Amino acid sequence: MTSHDVREMLNLPTEGGGSRPAKKQKTSIARQNLKGLAREVQNLGGDNPIAIVPEISSFKKRRFGSRKPAARWEMRPFRNSARGDESLILRHWRRKTDVQPTPPQPEQQQNGQPNEDKMDADKGESKPEEIEDSSFAKFNVKVDVPQYSEDQYNSTLVNNDWTKDETDYLMDAVREYDLRWPIIWDRYDYQSKDGDASTESNTAVVQARKARTLEDLKARYYEVAAKMMGVQRPVQYMNQAEFSLHEIMVNFKPEDETRRKKFAEAQMGRSKEEAREEESLLLEVRRILARTEKFNQERRELYNRLDYPTTETTQDLSTFKTSNGLHTLLQNLMTADKSKKRKSLMGTDGQSTPASAGPSAQPGSTPLAEQRRESIAASASGHGHGRHDSNASTDTRAEKPTKKGAQAPERRKLTEQEELTYGVSTHDRLPSGPTFRYDRINKILTTKSNAQHARITNTLNELDVPARLTMPTKAVVDQMEHLLVNIQTLLDLKKLSDKFDAEIKLEKAKKAEKDKAAGIVPQPAAAESAAKGGSNGETAKENVAASKDGKKAGGGAASSSTATTEKPAAGEGTNGEKDGPNKGGEQAAAEKPADGNPGADDKKAAAKEAQEATNGVKQENNTGEEKEERPSSSGGQKRSASVLSSVSDKSAKRQKK
Amino acid sequence: MAQPLTTASVPTDIYGGDEVSALVLDAGYCQTRAGFAGEDVPKSVLPSFYGAIKDTSAASGSRNVFGEDFIYARPDFEVKNYMSRTESVVEDWDTAVQVWESMLLERLQPERRQTQPSKNGLNDGADGEGDVSMEDAATSAENAENAEKPLAESPLLMTEAPWNQGKAREKAIEIAMENWGCPAFWLSRTPVCAAFAAGKASALVVDVGGANTSVTAVHDGMILKRSIQKSHVGGLWLSSQIRSMFDSSDPKIEPSHPPQTQLRPPSSYRAYEDERLLTEYKESVVEVWRGPGRYSNPGNEDLVKTQPGRIFEMPDGSNQMWREQRFRVSEGMWDETAQLPTASEEERITKAQTVPELIRACLNAVDVDLRPNLLGNIVVTGGTSLLNGFNDRLNNELMGMYPGMRVKLHAAGLTTERRFGSWIGGSILASLGTFHQMWISKRSTTRMVPALSRNAASKGFLKSWRLRIDGAWTPKKKSR
Repeated sequence: MTSHDVREMLNLPTEGGGSRPAKKQKTSIARQNLKGLAREVQNLGGDNPIAIVPEISSFKKRRFGSRKPAARWEMRPFRNSARGDESLILRHWRRKTDVQPTPPQPEQQQNGQPNEDKMDADKGESKPEEIEDSSFAKFNVKVDVPQYSEDQYNSTLVNNDWTKDETDYLMDAVREYDLRWPIIWDRYDYQSKDGDASTESNTAVVQARKARTLEDLKARYYEVAAKMMGVQRPVQYMNQAEFSLHEIMVNFKPEDETRRKKFAEAQMGRSKEEAREEESLLLEVRRILARTEKFNQERRELYNRLDYPTTETTQDLSTFKTSNGLHTLLQNLMTADKSKKRKSLMGTDGQSTPASAGPSAQPGSTPLAEQRRESIAASASGHGHGRHDSNASTDTRAEKPTKKGAQAPERRKLTEQEELTYGVSTHDRLPSGPTFRYDRINKILTTKSNAQHARITNTLNELDVPARLTMPTKAVVDQMEHLLVNIQTLLDLKKLSDKFDAEIKLEKAKKAEKDKAAGIVPQPAAAESAAKGGSNGETAKENVAASKDGKKAGGGAASSSTATTEKPAAGEGTNGEKDGPNKGGEQAAAEKPADGNPGADDKKAAAKEAQEATNGVKQENNTGEEKEERPSSSGGQKRSASVLSSVSDKSAKRQKK
Repeated sequence: MAQPLTTASVPTDIYGGDEVSALVLDAGYCQTRAGFAGEDVPKSVLPSFYGAIKDTSAASGSRNVFGEDFIYARPDFEVKNYMSRTESVVEDWDTAVQVWESMLLERLQPERRQTQPSKNGLNDGADGEGDVSMEDAATSAENAENAEKPLAESPLLMTEAPWNQGKAREKAIEIAMENWGCPAFWLSRTPVCAAFAAGKASALVVDVGGANTSVTAVHDGMILKRSIQKSHVGGLWLSSQIRSMFDSSDPKIEPSHPPQTQLRPPSSYRAYEDERLLTEYKESVVEVWRGPGRYSNPGNEDLVKTQPGRIFEMPDGSNQMWREQRFRVSEGMWDETAQLPTASEEERITKAQTVPELIRACLNAVDVDLRPNLLGNIVVTGGTSLLNGFNDRLNNELMGMYPGMRVKLHAAGLTTERRFGSWIGGSILASLGTFHQMWISKRSTTRMVPALSRNAASKGFLKSWRLRIDGAWTPKKKSR
């Protein structure tokens, strides 16, 4: 940085001078232009020109001095080529031109030349031959009205309602009024020529003048115009604009027009109250629309929040029918799921409305995802069944995916209807190779012991259900399976209750003996009632029984408890039991450790339980009256329900305990 | 940086004007207006009433004087009107020619008739009647050499009532072409002109004039003939209402007293002078009840009585405060039941003749598609529409009649524009460049007018001419 630059910044004069002479020259020139200002005042402005404009007092003189010779004007004749007759020559003032007149732009030339007069004289001579045309002639535009010859009329345009004469009249009027239909209709006053030329026929004179409506006139004109268009160029050769015009004219419906006008007229004739009512209705409609708009927006927001896959099933499903398609769908859903999770997290952070943020505010949005997965699983396993609630053991099925957690891929949820139509079913584990459905039923039966098998068949006979299915469709097999499971549980419960009854009797007998020994008079009636219905008494007895012969009935109690815990789940869930009783047994066994029966081998327990059950049933058969009291054989579903309720009561009590 | 327009650039492109020094003549029952096209007010406005002085030397037995200055009481004097009161069309063609000549030739182009100062009568001072040359327009026989083609250079545009008949039109064109030698001529309907003056090509023109009120729909610069509605509810009808109010008041009010001289002016003269007084009364006192609702609705009159009234002083010096009466006289225009009883049965109006009903009938006679547009473009013109509160009342009535529609009145603010609306429209029209193609030229009329007047054989030709005369163009916006 040199000192020169610093000086320049501070706007100081340069030392050496002459380094930038151009700038100095410029300012001095500008200053010289400003006259009438003191030099000191001018210096105040520095380099910038000062904003005060000095007054110049030589106004009049200058104007007088700069005056040009007055412009010469002349009355110049002109004609208007838009007129029918060119004879009318009007005159208007135009500036006199000095050059040979060039009619299109005569005003553009400048005057003030010395030879003006001569030129004017020239022009005066040449005037007669060239009279300029009015510049407004170009604004005269006319509409195109269809033309037709006599032959064309006779061949295409004949109409019963219209004579050729009247059609001509209409066309003339249209041309005259440039297609202004209200005026055409207003002035339309066709007098039939027959009146004048009455020599032709006498009947024609009588013909009354028709009052044509505006729609009549329009319809006739459009008919003629469309037909003539068609004659000049057939429809198939028309270009787009012509064709659309033709279509409009062909499709003109005078009836519709009349109706529309009637409506319009009625609308005009409304009273004040009607008008006000309509206004208020319109207001209401607007409000409703605004509300639906808001509602839609909210719903869209909700959908976005849910990241619900699009449900255009009709078009989408075809692409998913192939395994490839299914795979891509799976991928899509997975990525969608991931992105959704991230978004929902972000959404909860940025969300300000508590209502919308509420449900998804949990970290990771697990409840939502879980719920959905559950519903998917439920629908996948429970297709084809109306009552999911009465099916057994779906709870475990539902639990499994939740345990697996997030890596379980999201599946596109099909509705039950779709699953039925497409035959989609999901399985946790598929046995290798094809199987008969019938085998599933057989398997249940054959895996049981003979006694059990016999009892089940007995029950089936009681229900009038054939042991061998005649038409083992999927739904039928499922139902059958379900029925068999229920029968199984029913039998187990019977066995249990019998066992308890036997124990109660035993205890009663013991007590009676003790009482005898103690010399107290027994109250058999009270004991009886307590044993039968009184819940408190019964539970007390059971407690006593459970505590007393714990060793003996330990396994039995455990098995019964598993049975009871199993029952409610069966009630809740859909029937996931189709894999067979074995599996159900396994599951029950799997739950046993949770119940706190350590080291009990499940197979043995099951076998033991089965034995005890047979014993119980035998006892039950012996004590026939008691069996009659319970609703035993009146139909699988109902009975199972009642049994379930009683069992659940018991389990509840046990839990209290 | 307002650069003044150089004189070389003729501003045709701005408003489409192209002056051809045309004249515009607008004849009504109360006034006849004449002036140059392109100006905003008529140069010459004369009453259509004229004075006929008995003169045995003249062929018709009288000589006529025109202009307000010459209508004063003198012996053997009658005040007449060359227009028809009921129709507002020319009735007395001979006098009409005289009136128009006195306006177009003498008042608009005075340099044409400059006579020698020794002969022009100004220096005579014999009868002391002032400008004789202006007075005896009928005795222009000595100026025959000038009268040959007095208007040879000026196209003439005349207005006509929308219900004017073909015969009257032929007569007008004959006079213009043959008597005056106009190079070009045109007849335009008054509603069209009034709409143009308001800058509209389509409008519903409500013209409340002196003798008549007409409501006409104009579409694209052409009237719709079926929509024409006419009634005599105008300034003169209002005067008759005021007269009957004066008669019924106690003491009876005489607008003008009979003079106390030997000179007994004729009754026509008194009526003319009365009318002048009543016009003043209408201008300063009469008011229209603005609505909403009618004046006869309960409570309105009581309200008006509490308002300050207006004082009007009669020529004889008596004065009176007018309160509710000034509303009552004008109420008949809107509500036929409220009109005051009149002496002559012709003055009575029916319901169909009230202003709102005229508009309703007019709208009902046009295509339903046009009605909303017409209601949104209502042009109010005519001198009687200047009554205080007229537009408010009209607006209220229309809003009541068409509650769902958008009603918009267009009424010029300047009184001159309202009084001379149709003349101004004609002035705009005749100065437009696009109008040149419309003029009926002299050559075509010299061919056709005799034929027209002689026989009706050339009906087709006449019809096509009638078609033409209704005009088809859209005007440019007025820009002054």
